Amino acid sequence: MEEFSIKTKQKDNISILGLEGYLDAHTSVELEKCFEKIISEKKFKIIVNFEKLSYISSAGLGVFMAFIETARNNAGDIKLCAMSDKIYNIFDMLGFPILFEIYKEEDAAIEKFN
Amino acid sequence: MDKTNKILFKSSTKNLHLLRKFIEDKARTFGFDESSVNQIILSVDEACTNIIKHAHMYNDKEIIEVELNTNENQFIIKLNYKGKAFDPNNISNPDMKEYFNKFKIGGLGVPIMKKFMNKIEFLHLNPDKNSLTLIKNL
Repeated sequence: MEEFSIKTKQKDNISILGLEGYLDAHTSVELEKCFEKIISEKKFKIIVNFEKLSYISSAGLGVFMAFIETARNNAGDIKLCAMSDKIYNIFDMLGFPILFEIYKEEDAAIEKFN
Repeated sequence: MDKTNKILFKSSTKNLHLLRKFIEDKARTFGFDESSVNQIILSVDEACTNIIKHAHMYNDKEIIEVELNTNENQFIIKLNYKGKAFDPNNISNPDMKEYFNKFKIGGLGVPIMKKFMNKIEFLHLNPDKNSLTLIKNL
C-alpha cells in the first residue's frame, strides 16, 4: 500500500503538520482526524508542510476547507507551504490561493503568524 | 493498431493507489509527458472516488471494471460499474468565489476531470450498467 503519514511538531503556539506520501480519498481520513485533534486542543494556528507529499486529490483539498473557517474564527489560520509544482498546480487551478496563504518556505509561514 | 487492457477493482478507496499505478504505467508507456500522466491519474482517481462514494456508497463488494483502449493518438479509459447513474457532463463547474466565501467542501472532482481530460462520455445502459469514459489526446 502506498504510504501516507503526518509528522506533527509544535513551535511555540503553532502546530506544524508535515505531510508525506499520497493524500487521497482513503488517506484523507487520517488527516481529518489529525485536524480534529489539533482543533479540539484549541490550537488554531496551523501550518501544513507539503514538502514530502507526492500526490493530492480533491479529497485532500476538502480537509483544508473543512477546518479553515474554525481556525480563522478563533484568531488562527491554516497556512500552507513547501509545495512541489505538481501539487501547487492543483491548488492553483481551482483557485485555492484566493482563500489560503501558500508559502514557499515553512519559515515564511511561521514568520507570518508571528 | 488499437490496444485494449481490462482490469477489475473492488470498489474501495483502499484500492485507489493500485488503480493509479495501473493508469500511470499505461499512460507513460503510451507516450504522455509527466504533466499529462499526472492529469490522467488524478482524473481517474476522482472519477473512481465518485463511483465508490455515490454509486456504490462505500460497498466494497461492488466492482469497478477499468477498460483501457488506445488508438494512434487517444488514451481512452472506460469505467464500467453498476449502481446509481451520474453523468459529470450534467454538473456545472462551481462558482469558486462563492465556493470559498461559503467554505464549501467537495464537488471538485468533476471540475478536475473536465479540466484535465479532452472528453468525458457517460452512458447509462440499464440499472445494472453504467459506463464513464475519459479521453485524453496525446
